[in-house]
Amino acid sequence: MAQLDNIIHQPVRLQIMSSLISLDQNEQVNFTYLRKLLKLTDGNLGAHLTKLEEAGFVKIEKTFVARKPCSFISATGKGRDAFEEHIAALREIIHSGKG
Amino acid sequence: MNISQEDAQASLSTVNDVIGHTQKAIASAYANPSLIMWGILWIVAFTSTHFYYTYAFYIFMAMAVVGGIGTAVIFGLYRAKSPIKETSSHKSGWRISALWIFLCIYIIVWLSLLTPFSGIQCNAFICTAAMFAYIVMGLWFDNRFMIVLGLALTAATLVGFYLLRDYYCLWMALVGGGTLFGTGLYIRLRWR
Repeated sequence: MAQLDNIIHQPVRLQIMSSLISLDQNEQVNFTYLRKLLKLTDGNLGAHLTKLEEAGFVKIEKTFVARKPCSFISATGKGRDAFEEHIAALREIIHSGKG
Repeated sequence: MNISQEDAQASLSTVNDVIGHTQKAIASAYANPSLIMWGILWIVAFTSTHFYYTYAFYIFMAMAVVGGIGTAVIFGLYRAKSPIKETSSHKSGWRISALWIFLCIYIIVWLSLLTPFSGIQCNAFICTAAMFAYIVMGLWFDNRFMIVLGLALTAATLVGFYLLRDYYCLWMALVGGGTLFGTGLYIRLRWR
């Protein structure tokens, strides 16, 4: 039986992980683009990304683009597995009441 | 951790919405200029062919060259400005290019096998073959939108071919080109 993940279940982090999962495994998304896409503030996105990074679910790579600091974010393999299990757990909960 | 069925359903809806929104936002960056360009090219090429039928071959060759170069430029610009960075070599771009190159080669082979045929038969064949490639790409990337667009334009081509033969080129300019152009515009306005 799949287990819900406390860290991923938080609404903003669920959105962040959903967005990152949409990318291919070899792709990273720009912090600013992700912030605009999810309509979050810098601080809010940064705080939730830190939580996800501490759990090993995302990888944050800091680099420079045209001499400006820029962060690129991607979901790790562990993050993708945890997200899949979380989704499976949600489906189980939904289906458990339909039988 | 326990949550209700309603909460689970709401979470799953959020996940689906965000995944769809992200995929559309990323795709819109290159899909809309590409579709708008191909829509304009179809409208110009088919309308010109209706009035200057003897030059059809040259018109469509010019359309293919301009469209091919234009598509490569659009994808090149997108990659340069993209908010998405690839950490290792991405094979999708090459696979899509290879799909279209193989399709062009096979279209030439099939046409040589099927000859003789009329200009309209040739055109309808190429249009439906190109739409088949759209459907293949849609299945490949799990993109329903491309599948629907491919099927809709295939149906439009068949309607023009079987029911409106005398006005085939104008029909294809209006419906085919219009659909591509309109789709590009729709994506530009709605998928951001």
